[in-house]
Amino acid sequence: MTAGLRTESRPFNRVGMKRIGITTTVPSEFIFAAGLAPVDLNNIFVTDINSSGFIELAETEGLPRASCGWIKGMYGAARAGMVDAIVAVSDGDCSHTRTLLEIIQSEGMPLIPFAYPYDRDHSLLRKQMEKLAAWVGVSMEDAEKWMNRLDSIRSKLWEIDRLTWEENRVTGFENHLLLVNGSDMEGDPDRFEEKCGRFLEEARQRPALPQQLRLAFIGVPPIIGDLYEFIETLNARVVFNEVQRQFTLPFRSDDIVERYLLYTYPYDVFSRIRDIKEEIAKRDIHGVIHYVQSFCHRQMEDVMFRKHLGNIPFLTVEGDAPQKLDARTKLRLESFCEMLSLKISALGRPGC
Amino acid sequence: MLNALGIDVGSRYVKFARFEDGRAVMDKVDTVMFYRRCRAVSGGVDIRRLEQFAQSSFGRIVATGYGRHNVRIQGAEVISEIRAHAEGARYQTGLLDFTLIDLGGQDTKAIRVRDGLVDDFLMNDKCAAGSGRYLENIARMLGITVEELAGYCHNPAKLSVTCAIFGESEVIGKLAEGVEIESICAGANLSVASRVSALMKRFVSSTYVVTGGVARNGAVTKFLAERCEGRVLVPEHPAFNGAIGAAITAQTQETVFHTVGEPAKEADRAP
Ligand code: SF4
Repeated sequence: MTAGLRTESRPFNRVGMKRIGITTTVPSEFIFAAGLAPVDLNNIFVTDINSSGFIELAETEGLPRASCGWIKGMYGAARAGMVDAIVAVSDGDCSHTRTLLEIIQSEGMPLIPFAYPYDRDHSLLRKQMEKLAAWVGVSMEDAEKWMNRLDSIRSKLWEIDRLTWEENRVTGFENHLLLVNGSDMEGDPDRFEEKCGRFLEEARQRPALPQQLRLAFIGVPPIIGDLYEFIETLNARVVFNEVQRQFTLPFRSDDIVERYLLYTYPYDVFSRIRDIKEEIAKRDIHGVIHYVQSFCHRQMEDVMFRKHLGNIPFLTVEGDAPQKLDARTKLRLESFCEMLSLKISALGRPGC
Repeated sequence: MLNALGIDVGSRYVKFARFEDGRAVMDKVDTVMFYRRCRAVSGGVDIRRLEQFAQSSFGRIVATGYGRHNVRIQGAEVISEIRAHAEGARYQTGLLDFTLIDLGGQDTKAIRVRDGLVDDFLMNDKCAAGSGRYLENIARMLGITVEELAGYCHNPAKLSVTCAIFGESEVIGKLAEGVEIESICAGANLSVASRVSALMKRFVSSTYVVTGGVARNGAVTKFLAERCEGRVLVPEHPAFNGAIGAAITAQTQETVFHTVGEPAKEADRAP
């Protein structure tokens, strides 16, 4: 009988290992502390020029056509030999990920599950972290030191975010691209920090961007590449990327466990709603775009957002594979932005 | 002052509207023919290649259709279908607060208009399910006209698939079971209305304005009226609503609250 996912807790044999795949944000401090490099499988997949090849590979292996594109892409990335082992979020992301882990594990990939406790139980999350620490052979204190190191990079990402909404110098796509990498720091903290530093220097010198409409982008990061670019042709700009910002762990605490309890994405939708509402007010947002992934259970969260985000204009956009925007989605985005512009010119601001 | 022209490039027809002596004058041409005849050498589409516009010159042309980038008419400004339809319905009904249901050939839209402005909209079907195309296909299969199909509302057969393609096999199944054609027609009308009423519930209103080619289907509007609390209005020119909205926008950039035009007809609750 093969060992079940939950029983994996012994230190793994690190010989020859370097790159640890992750399926969403996990406490990467532990991985870095062990001298390993976390690599977000989503990022590898979606930035690869052959990203649709990853999906084809997954479908050839029998993953259903009607299943999440991110899952198929991560499967392809894992199969492409880009990582040596995987820390996989088994609770707090989705059941599709859990099945993906089982498939990958059955194909011989060393793997450790990481579970975010739904009820935000401090001791349970601590236990998960201790298990992860033991697996990679480091202590909690080692990881805490790394938290400080990573926070110096995160503070650059927070500044990039501030320049996006407060000074209007950073595009929605740049914000997305840099913040989303908060999950793995591109596998190389020094290089990534330098990159963020260079970006900040350059962005601070820019003139303010001209777009009048300020949009929030909530939901999982979009799989469609040209979404942001297209929006910016419509006199609009994304000034808030909800989940990408969460990947930068925006809420401070000296306790590493607490830090990952404040991170909203893997828990209930209510804390996300609170966070989104605060940011909508702070960032003076005119409209919300909820991105949903085809075949993702999170599509159902749409109901909650529409109900609880108040009177703000709201558009749901669905994406499936890493392709360009389809004509219909373009049409809906155009109509949405046009509606917001007309409301602003008639009423001063939409939603009132 | 030169005339303003509104153009709505639809999947079946390209519709034109302009105003003469305060009344809307309308015209339409087949979409494929329109593109064939009007494709300009310099790229885009030149409407002066159409006989009726050969000698015309317009002060301003506003076009709408499936996506900004799909409507490349020379000399025309483009607005979204959502805005065009909202403007058209506002002009045709004289109302400022309503929910507009546009039942087109390929898709269905719901638009909530408040104080004369688009407040929210939904276009949630990626396919032609439940659209005019579905009803056309059913009518063609049954060897009757769409107008005839629109006359049936009694004893509707239970049809659950409104897909423009797969709906046909369900109808064949019903025929094989010996279900009356009248019942199948009523069932097709009802299934479109049921699908649309789900959209209406998202934007509850005391008034629903129904436009698009399918709005001429009395059975569908009757079923819709039965499924909602508010009144259901069909304006005088439901199929030209988008073109009229574009013409209104072309005529004046300001927000206008015209009430010219024939009063809208209220759909019968009981035929
Ligand atoms: S998009 Fe949804 S289904 Fe896909 S991996 Fe993320 S949470 Fe799971």
